[in-house]
Amino acid sequence: MLKPILLVEDNPNDLELTLVALDKSQLANEVIVARDGQEAIDYLTSEGEWKERAPGNPAVILLDLKLPKIDGLEVLDMIRSNASLKSVPVVMLTSSREEQDLIRSYELGVNAYVVKPVEFAEFVEAISDLGVFWAVLNEPPPGSTRFRRPPPAQ
Amino acid sequence: MSESASEPPIGARAVREASQGPPDAEARRRTLSSGVASQDCDAEPIHIPGGIQPHGFLLVLSDDLHILQVSENLVSLTNAGVDELLGAPLDVVLGAAGAQRIGQAAATSALDDAPLYIGPIDLAPSSSDKALRLDLTIHRHDGTLIVEMETAAATGDAFASMYPLVRTFARGLQEGGSVQALAELAVREVRAITGFGRVMLYSFDEEGRSHVLAEDRDASYPSFLHQFFPASDIPRQARALYLKNRIRLVADVDYTPARLVPSVNPVTGRPTDLTFATLRSFSPVHLEYMRNMGTHASMSVSIVVRGQLWGLISCHDHSARIVPFNTRVAVEHLGHMLSLQIEAKEERAEGEYLSALRRTMSRLISAMGEHENFVAGLRAVPGDVLSFARSAGAAIVFDDQVTLLGATPDEDTVRALTHWLAENTSGVWATDSLAREWPPAKAHADKACGVLAVPVSQIFRNYLLWFRPELMQTIEWAGEPVKIESADGSSAPRTSFSPWLETVRGHSALWRQSELEIAAELRGALLNIVLRRAEERAELATELTRANKELEAFSYSVSHDLRAPLRHIAGYGDLLREQEGERMSDKSRRFLNNMLESARFAGTLVDDLLTFSQMGRAALRPAPVDLGLLVKSVVQEVEVEGSGRSIEWVIGDLPRVTGDAAFLQLAVRNLISNAVKYTRTRESAKIEIFATRSGDEYVIGVRDNGVGFDMKYGAKLFGVFQRLHRAEEFEGTGIGLANVRRIIERHDGRTWAEGRLGEGAVFYFSLPVTFRNANGTQGAPNTKSRKNHA
Repeated sequence: MLKPILLVEDNPNDLELTLVALDKSQLANEVIVARDGQEAIDYLTSEGEWKERAPGNPAVILLDLKLPKIDGLEVLDMIRSNASLKSVPVVMLTSSREEQDLIRSYELGVNAYVVKPVEFAEFVEAISDLGVFWAVLNEPPPGSTRFRRPPPAQ
Repeated sequence: MSESASEPPIGARAVREASQGPPDAEARRRTLSSGVASQDCDAEPIHIPGGIQPHGFLLVLSDDLHILQVSENLVSLTNAGVDELLGAPLDVVLGAAGAQRIGQAAATSALDDAPLYIGPIDLAPSSSDKALRLDLTIHRHDGTLIVEMETAAATGDAFASMYPLVRTFARGLQEGGSVQALAELAVREVRAITGFGRVMLYSFDEEGRSHVLAEDRDASYPSFLHQFFPASDIPRQARALYLKNRIRLVADVDYTPARLVPSVNPVTGRPTDLTFATLRSFSPVHLEYMRNMGTHASMSVSIVVRGQLWGLISCHDHSARIVPFNTRVAVEHLGHMLSLQIEAKEERAEGEYLSALRRTMSRLISAMGEHENFVAGLRAVPGDVLSFARSAGAAIVFDDQVTLLGATPDEDTVRALTHWLAENTSGVWATDSLAREWPPAKAHADKACGVLAVPVSQIFRNYLLWFRPELMQTIEWAGEPVKIESADGSSAPRTSFSPWLETVRGHSALWRQSELEIAAELRGALLNIVLRRAEERAELATELTRANKELEAFSYSVSHDLRAPLRHIAGYGDLLREQEGERMSDKSRRFLNNMLESARFAGTLVDDLLTFSQMGRAALRPAPVDLGLLVKSVVQEVEVEGSGRSIEWVIGDLPRVTGDAAFLQLAVRNLISNAVKYTRTRESAKIEIFATRSGDEYVIGVRDNGVGFDMKYGAKLFGVFQRLHRAEEFEGTGIGLANVRRIIERHDGRTWAEGRLGEGAVFYFSLPVTFRNANGTQGAPNTKSRKNHA
């Protein structure tokens, strides 16, 4: 089975539209949704509600910048300073065109930074490209996962 | 009080050694031993001459009225020799009654420096049978009692006859309008009272010269009116003495001094200080000087104003002349009254002048307060600026800008002067002879011979300067103003008193103390104004920073909060059209499409607005930019985007400039795509891009033959979201030219446009030939971080 995509998004409309976009891109990966920074961290560290989840890191994290409780930059910082998580690809998905956010994200080691376009078709295209690149094509660095589920027998 | 009187006399020891010589031996020795007259005259201890003029007698008494010293001529009055008198009680000379009167005066009254008139006393001199009537005065100085005796006036009560004279004078003084009038009245009155052949009144000027203001004389005396006597004619210690003892008399220039015996006061161990003694013997130099002037008797009365020796009333006579005590007292009183009146007149004149200056100053201050800056304020009232310092010219030097008013040296000279002032002076500074301090001023004596400099900031070379022209002054000296050295090397008084003209050059009118003080006041007020302005600016800057921060926060939240709902409308609308479009009526589909278009347009507006705000805040990254290459690449881009229209491009020679390449590209792209857009309706579009150099800036123009615009709206063109066309005609949010202006302004350039409706337009921007990195520095840290992801 493919590694899941972790989507961290608090706005229900953005969440729905992103899910539609991911759907349209026909990725087979499971999409795990976290609604704020704390939930994202809980998932990544298998804490709280996610205590019982199967081990393993997501293929890619789509991370909104502005989040309740713990914001996207803090989550990114935490991922990059955690030995077992630091090589997971993170894509900032945000409304912000602010230079400062961009700079800060790259300083924290983001893999890509996508300003959500107003045009929905463009958004679908962007999500699709990202999904294909990070979830399917990109080979994560060796040793970054402790567990690799064998591909399902066809 | 001057040092010479209160300290132990310098020559005390020397006097003891020379006690067998003439009474003024010490004075003479000092006079002869050095070369320059004025210097050794200054050193002569004239208050301890060791003797008196022989027309009277002098006794120095101990507290118990025993005789300590006598003038040697006293022998002629008594039957006893000097040796017998010394140590004897006073009765021996004055008799019991006389001694008792002295004792009473010494004990009861607060006896001090001023000689007290005891009254007449009749004595029978040893040389004759006739009784001699003597006026008796006593004073106490330097711890000793000094009794002086002079031949009494013939009339019994001389004071009575003096009174009307003095009263007339007092009334005249009050009526006298000016110092000059007072002086003329005084010399007339003094001559009337004393009967001297010539009475002059002179004042001392700043250089110490005596200037004869008024004179009353017998026709047989030469006139010195309006002439000058050099400062060295009255040496320094004489001036100090004249301050203390207000009246001096030389009764007969050819006198042989009567020595004080012994030469040293046995109680004090010092020669007796005769500062306040009427009979004090004069310096031989002074007597020689008098003889040279043809004067046999002289008297002078001090005029003391504000504690300073202001001038003298000087009386001369061709014959020896004894002036009795009561006349001297009358003249001395007259001198006092005159002094007070002069002081009052001068102070009133000074007060009036000061208050006129103050009024001018307050007009200057209010002018400065009313205007944007103080320089503009001063320029608005040039007359007041000049009259404030009674000047013909003034200069305001502020922030390296020189403003000249009236007659001044050229700007470069003024600037050079401020450099010199900044290094060599501090605070309010003035001179009446600038060239003496700063030689380059020699060439500008006609305008800037004197200068008053008022610095208006502590750090910068900011000055207010006032100039005064050279004031050529002709001084009529009473004889050549140099004391001549005599053949044997001793200093000799001058012998010539015939008028001798000197032209004094290189000086302006003097700066008065009050002028300097009020200049300092003006400086204080100015500093307050400058300081207040600086504070206001600082406040404004703080306010601006705060507003900027708010704007930043605002645009940040717009970026997130306003964009998100627009995106959602567009997203859901697209989904709706995708899933339900087939089933919708044409009308519903049109509604939905309009909705989506509006949402997208709103999104673009928000994005444009954010770009615009970022353009103002983002740091400039200046680098060399070839505008030619930049324009070519932009033209290629728009050609590719263009829908195959034929456009004739005319691209002239474009300069290389320094600027932020990305920003400049955006600006040029805006202008060129505007030209393309607004020529859309033309069959053959022509777009020219050209550059010219004008002074220290390049001007770049983009000309098109498109729809143009009405110049009436020209001013609106570069505003945010300003559009001159309907959306159906030409698309756009109206942010493009606002971006151009902002980019160009951040490069210290300007933007403007010319156009005519239907006949095309030219859009211009200018860039400085030399880029000034004023804005670029603020974003230095950002430059580094942007490289990280670039």
